[in-house]
Amino acid sequence: MRRRPGIGGLQNAAAARDQFRALGDNVAKLRTDLMKEQLSTFRSQLEDFARKHKNDIRKNPAFRSQFHEMCAKVGVDPLASNKGFWAELLGIGDFYYELGVQIVDICLATRPLNGGLINLEELCKLLRQRRKTAREAVSEDDCLRAISKLKVLGSGFEVISVGKRKLVRSVPTELNKDHNEILELAQVQGFVTVEEVERRLTWSSGRAIDALDSLLDEGLAMIDDGHRDGKRRYWFPCVSSISSFVGTDTL
Amino acid sequence: MAGNILPKAELTTSGRPVLHPGEVESSLLSSVDLLPEQEHNPAAAASFPHLKSGLLILTNHRLLWLPESATATASPVAIPLAAVAHISSSSKKSIKTMFASPRVRFRVSTTPQGRVDPGGSQSVPVMLVLRGKSTDPDSFLGRFFEAWRGRAWEAPGGSGSGASTSGPGDGLRAPVVGVAGILRKEQEMWESTDKSLQDAFQDLNALMSKAKEMVMLAEKMRLKLLSGSNNQTGAANDEEMGSKEEMQDWLLSVGIVSPVTKESAGALYHQQLSRQSIVLISLLQKEVLSEFKEDMIAQLEITEIGLLSYFLGIELADFVKIPIERAGGMINLIDIYCVFNRARGTELISPDDLLQACILWEKLDVPVMLRKFDSGVMVIQNKSHSDDEVFARIKSLVLKPDALRSGVSASDAAMTLGIAPAMAKEHLLTAESKGMLLDVSPDGFRFYINLFQEIDLHDVY
Repeated sequence: MRRRPGIGGLQNAAAARDQFRALGDNVAKLRTDLMKEQLSTFRSQLEDFARKHKNDIRKNPAFRSQFHEMCAKVGVDPLASNKGFWAELLGIGDFYYELGVQIVDICLATRPLNGGLINLEELCKLLRQRRKTAREAVSEDDCLRAISKLKVLGSGFEVISVGKRKLVRSVPTELNKDHNEILELAQVQGFVTVEEVERRLTWSSGRAIDALDSLLDEGLAMIDDGHRDGKRRYWFPCVSSISSFVGTDTL
Repeated sequence: MAGNILPKAELTTSGRPVLHPGEVESSLLSSVDLLPEQEHNPAAAASFPHLKSGLLILTNHRLLWLPESATATASPVAIPLAAVAHISSSSKKSIKTMFASPRVRFRVSTTPQGRVDPGGSQSVPVMLVLRGKSTDPDSFLGRFFEAWRGRAWEAPGGSGSGASTSGPGDGLRAPVVGVAGILRKEQEMWESTDKSLQDAFQDLNALMSKAKEMVMLAEKMRLKLLSGSNNQTGAANDEEMGSKEEMQDWLLSVGIVSPVTKESAGALYHQQLSRQSIVLISLLQKEVLSEFKEDMIAQLEITEIGLLSYFLGIELADFVKIPIERAGGMINLIDIYCVFNRARGTELISPDDLLQACILWEKLDVPVMLRKFDSGVMVIQNKSHSDDEVFARIKSLVLKPDALRSGVSASDAAMTLGIAPAMAKEHLLTAESKGMLLDVSPDGFRFYINLFQEIDLHDVY
C-alpha cells in the first residue's frame, strides 16, 4: 500500500494497517491449527517408531550413533529436554543424563591425578568398569554426546583434540596453543623434557619453561627428577597411560 | 607368521585401531586369547597363530585383537566379520565349564592355503578364551551375533567384502551338526533381530523425513512471528504472544534447535508471575487442584509444558537449599546437576532443563538465584548471600602476617572460608577485579592485599 501524504493518506494507512492486522490474526490462528496437527502426526509417528525400535536404540550403539547423526543433520536435538517427545517416547534421555552424572564423577575423582584433563579412551574405560552391571553398552560416541550436553552448565566441560587423541576437559582452564603443542609432543612417551621442547618446537628456553610451569600449576603435569641423567621429566597423565595403573582401583 | 594367515589391523600412533568408514566399536574385552581349536584340524590349526591375552575389540565390521603389552611379539590382527562362517551359541554347561574361563567358538573361512578370506572354501574353528575378570560372555556373544548378522560392512561407505547382497546368512553358514534344535532357535532369533534392524533403519529414515518437515515448518513460523511482532503493537500482540508460547512448546517437544529456544525462559514465559499465581501453581503441583488443571492453565496463561517448567523451578528451588548450605553458601551448577539427578533416580533432567529452571527463578519469588562469573562458571547462591561479607573475610585473611609475606592461594582461602576451592578462586578473582587484591606472583595464583588502594594520590608525601 503506497503511503499518500496528508490526512487522507494517514487514514488510509491506518485502515490498511487494521486490515493487515485482522488478516494477520486469522493467519496466525490458521497456522497454529496447522502446527498442532503436524505436531500430533509427528508424535504418533514417533510413538510407532519407539514401540518397534526402542530396544534397538538401547541395545545397539551403532544404531544409536546413526540415530543421533541423523537427528543432527535434520536439526533436532533429542537430548535437549526431558519434556520433549524424544525423551518421553524413546526414553533415551535418562541414559545420557545419567551418563553425564557418571562422567562428572569420574572427572572429579581423577582430577587430583590429571589436573582436570582426561583421555577420552580412559574415561570410557573407567565408565565401563563402573557400569559393569548395567545392560547397555557405552561407546565413545555416547560419551561425547553426554559431554556436549554438559557444556551448557558452564564448568568448562569440553572435548579437545590433541594430535590423534581426544581429551576431556572438566575445569575452566584455558589451554593456549603452546600448551597444546607440548601435550601433543608428550603423547609419544607420556613425558617431555625442557630440551626436547626447545629442540622439537624450536622455542626459546624461557618460552618452554613458562609453558611447562603453567601446565604444572594447573595440575596437568607432574615432575619426575629421579633419572640418572639428571634431566627433569614432565609427565602428563592425560596423554600417557600411567594413570591407568595408579589409583583407579578405588573408583 | 601371523601376518600371513590373519589380516593385520592398522593402529594409530597412540595404539588405537584405525576404523574403516562406517565402522563403530561395539564391545571391548581385555585378556582374551585367540586360538585355533586343536581337536578338529591339526594341520590348519598349526599355521593359525596362538594369540594370548590381548585386547579384543568387536566392531560392526571386524573382530580386532591387539596385544595388550607393548613388548608382546604378536602384532595386531583383525578378522573381518564377513569371513566368519558360523558362530556357536553357548554350549552345554558343565562342572568343567563353570570353573574355566568362558569360551566363544566360531568358524572362519579360509582359502586352501590357510589365509583368512570371506570367500574361502575351507573353514577353521577358532576359539576365544575370555580371561578378563569383568567379562559377561553372554552379552559379548549376543553382540557378536548382532554385529555378524547386521552385515554393516556391506552398506555403502563401509569397507566391503563381496558384492553379494543376498539375505543374511545365505551361503556362509556351514552345515550345523550337534544340538540342532537349540541352535536353530537361537539363529532364528538373531535372524529376526537382523530383519528388524533393517526395518529399523527404514523406519528411522521415514521418521527423520518427518522431523525434517517439522524443522522447515518451524522456520517458516519463526520468520512469520518475527515479522509479525515488528509491525504490530497493542492488542494484536496478545494473539501473537499466545501463539509464540505455543510455538516455544512446539519447538521443545520436537527438540528443534533454534535461537528462539536458546533464549532465556524469561522470554518464554514473559510475565512475572504474581504471588497468587505461584501459590496456584504450587497447589497444582501438589495435585490439590488437579481437577481444575485445564482451567487454571488457561487462566494463568501458560501452556502444559510451561506448567511443567514451573514445577521444576519450584522443586529445584526447594531442593538446592541444603546443598548450598553444605557447600558454604554457593554451589556449582554442574554439582547441582549431579546431586539432583542422583536423588531423582529416574526421569532425570537434562542440563538444558536445569539451566532453564534456574533462569525461570527470576519469575518466581524464590530465595535462590543463578550467578555467572566471568570465567563462565555458573553457581547457585542464596539471594541473601552477600559478596561484601565474603570480601571482608578475605581481607582479614589477606592481612594476616604470613599472608602479607607470601600471599593467599585459592586453597588457603577455601579452607578458611569453608567453601570449595573453585568457588574460592572465583571470589579471589572478583576481589582482584574490584581492586581489593593484587596478584603479582609469577605463577599467578597467590593474592596479596592491594596497598596501592590505600595510597591517596593527593596525599603522596
